[in-house]
Amino acid sequence: MSSAPSSPAPRRRAAVLALIPVVALAELGVLWLALHPHVTGGYRAYYIDQSTTCLDKPVSGDYRLGRTVSFLPDDQPAARKLRVCGWDGPAGDGTHSVGTSSMLRFAPGEQAGDLVLDIMLSAVDSPDKRAQRIVLTGNGVSIGEATIPNNTQRMLEFAVPAEALDPDTGQLDLTIAFPTATEMVPRDSDTHYRAIKLLSVQLRRPDQPSSEGPQDDPAALRHRAGPDGPKA
Amino acid sequence: MVAEMTAPPLARELPLGVRLAGIVVGLAVLGYVIRLFAYLKAGWEPTLWAYPDGLCRWDCQWYVNLAKTGYDPYPVPDLLDAGNWAFFPLFPLIVGALHAVLPWPVMNIATAVSILFSSLAALVAWPLLERNLRAFTLYAAFLLCGPFSVYFTSFFTEVLFVLLTNCVLLALRRGDHLLAGLWSALLSATRIVGVFMVLAIALDYLIAYRREGGTLRGFLPHLWRRPEIVLALLLAPAGCFAYMAFLHFYMGDALAFQHVQRAWGRVPGNPFEYLWIGLTDWPRTGLWPTTNQWLGLAAVFGFGMTAVLAWQRKYPLALYCLICLVLPLSAGMASMLRFVVALSPLMLPTMRFLAWGRPLFWLALLAFIIGDYTFTVGWLEGWLALV
Repeated sequence: MSSAPSSPAPRRRAAVLALIPVVALAELGVLWLALHPHVTGGYRAYYIDQSTTCLDKPVSGDYRLGRTVSFLPDDQPAARKLRVCGWDGPAGDGTHSVGTSSMLRFAPGEQAGDLVLDIMLSAVDSPDKRAQRIVLTGNGVSIGEATIPNNTQRMLEFAVPAEALDPDTGQLDLTIAFPTATEMVPRDSDTHYRAIKLLSVQLRRPDQPSSEGPQDDPAALRHRAGPDGPKA
Repeated sequence: MVAEMTAPPLARELPLGVRLAGIVVGLAVLGYVIRLFAYLKAGWEPTLWAYPDGLCRWDCQWYVNLAKTGYDPYPVPDLLDAGNWAFFPLFPLIVGALHAVLPWPVMNIATAVSILFSSLAALVAWPLLERNLRAFTLYAAFLLCGPFSVYFTSFFTEVLFVLLTNCVLLALRRGDHLLAGLWSALLSATRIVGVFMVLAIALDYLIAYRREGGTLRGFLPHLWRRPEIVLALLLAPAGCFAYMAFLHFYMGDALAFQHVQRAWGRVPGNPFEYLWIGLTDWPRTGLWPTTNQWLGLAAVFGFGMTAVLAWQRKYPLALYCLICLVLPLSAGMASMLRFVVALSPLMLPTMRFLAWGRPLFWLALLAFIIGDYTFTVGWLEGWLALV
C-alpha cells in the first residue's frame, strides 16, 4: 500500500530514539496499572472475577418495621432504598430479578429480635416453563426457600431469626438466590438471567398485621389517588 | 478525467478544491433538510425546535450525558450496574469542550461538529478514491445524506472514527508511518478497535520493507538506522493507553471499558456461531428479514469486502477490517450494521464500485438520498437493526 520507508535526518532520528523509551515506559506503566486495579471487593467480584451477578450498591435500607413497600412502578422511592443489587425495572408487573441472586437491605434502625418477612412475587414465564426455586439467607443464616410454579404469583411468609440480622445495627441484608434462574433468549449473559418478579415486601414483628400485597403500601395508594380516584 | 465527464460546463471552470467543497456543502445541506423532514414525520416531538436533539437515540444519549457530565464514578450515580466507561473519550471530549465555551445545546454542537468531520472525512478520502469525482460524490453522499447518515451527522463516535481512519490510510498511502502512528493514537482514543490499526501499520511497513529487498537478518539493523516505525507502533495505541491511565486514576480500573461489558450482557463467544444464529433467526411471519438477519447480512457484507481487500493484496487493511469485524461479533450481533458502515477500508472501495458507470452512479446516488429519508424515519421509529 505505501511507498518505501524514508531515512530520517540525524537530528530527527535522535529525537525519535529519545522518544521511544519514554513512550514505551509510559505504556508499560499503564499496563502495570491495568493488572493492578484499585477497586472494591464488590466491583472485583462482579466485573473482574465475575463470581457474582449482584453488584452491591450503597443503598441506605431506610425502613420502618411493618411497612409494606410496593415494587410496582407506584412506589419507586421507598423500593430504591431497599434495592442493593440484582433488580431491574420496575415494569408494570413488578421489579424483575436479574442474574443468579438479588439482595434487599432493611435497616429499621433498631434491634428487633425475631421478625417475619412477607414477600409477594411471581415466577417469570420462562421459555422452558420451569418452576423457580428461591433460597433466602441473611447474614449467612438460612431463612428459608420456596418453589414457585412457572408464571405464577405467590404471597410467601418466612420467619427471620434474630441471628440473620446484623448484631450491631439490626440491619437485614437479605440475599435471594435463584438456582433455577433462566436465560430468556439463547446465549444470554448470566447477568440477564430471570427468575422472579417482586411485587411487594414487608418485614414485621410477629405481632404486627401481615401485608396482603402492594396495595397496602401507603405511598402507592397516595400515588394512585387522583382527583376522582379512591381516597387512601 | 472522470471529473470532467460528470461536471457541468460551468463547474469545470472552477478550481478543483472549490468543486469538491461545493459538492460536500451541497450534500451536507441536502442531508440536513432530508433528516429534518424525516424527523417532522416520525419524531417524538416533531417540531423544528426539537431538531436535531430529537434524532439522538440509543448510544447517542450516552454520548450527550458524557459530554455534559463526564465519566461516571464508581458507584455509578442512579446506582446502575453499567457505567459509561465503555464509550471512548475523544469525540465526547471535543464536543464537551466546545459545549463548555459555547452557549448552545450539546446536540446542536455535536451535529455541527459531526457534519464538519463528515465533510473533512470525504475531502481526505479524495486521493484514496483515486481522484474519481463520481466515487467522491457518492462517498460524500454516503456520509452526509445516505441511509446511515444519522450516525455521521448526530452524535456518534463513528464520524470521528471514519475521519481518523481516512487520515491513517492517507498517511500510509504516502509512506509516512510516523504520521499514520500519530493519527492512530487519536483513533485508539476514539473506539477500542482503533487500537488494532497498529497491526495494519506494522504489516504495511513489513510489506514495504520486503518489497525493497529487506531480509529477516537485516531487519534489526534496519530498525536501528530507521527507528521511526518503532515510535509509530508505540504511538498508535497511545490514545487507548491514555484513556486507561485516566480510568485507573479516576475510578480504579484501567480496563473498566472492557469489564463493564458484563453489565451490558455481552457474552464472549464464537463470532461465527453468533453470525449463524443471527442469519438463521427467520421471521415468524412474512418474508421481511429479522433484526438479527439484517445485522448478520451486514457482517457478511463486511467479511465479503474484507475478502476483496485480501484478493487485491491490501493485506494490512484486510487484517485490520477482519479484526474490526470479528472482535465485536465475538460479543454478539449488536450494532454490527453501524460498525460495518463505519469501516472506511470497506466503504471506500464500495463507493468506487458504485461509481463504475454513470447509470450505476446516478442510481446509487438516488438510492442514498431516498435511503437517508427512509432510514432516518426507521431510526426514529425504532428499527433495531440500525441501533
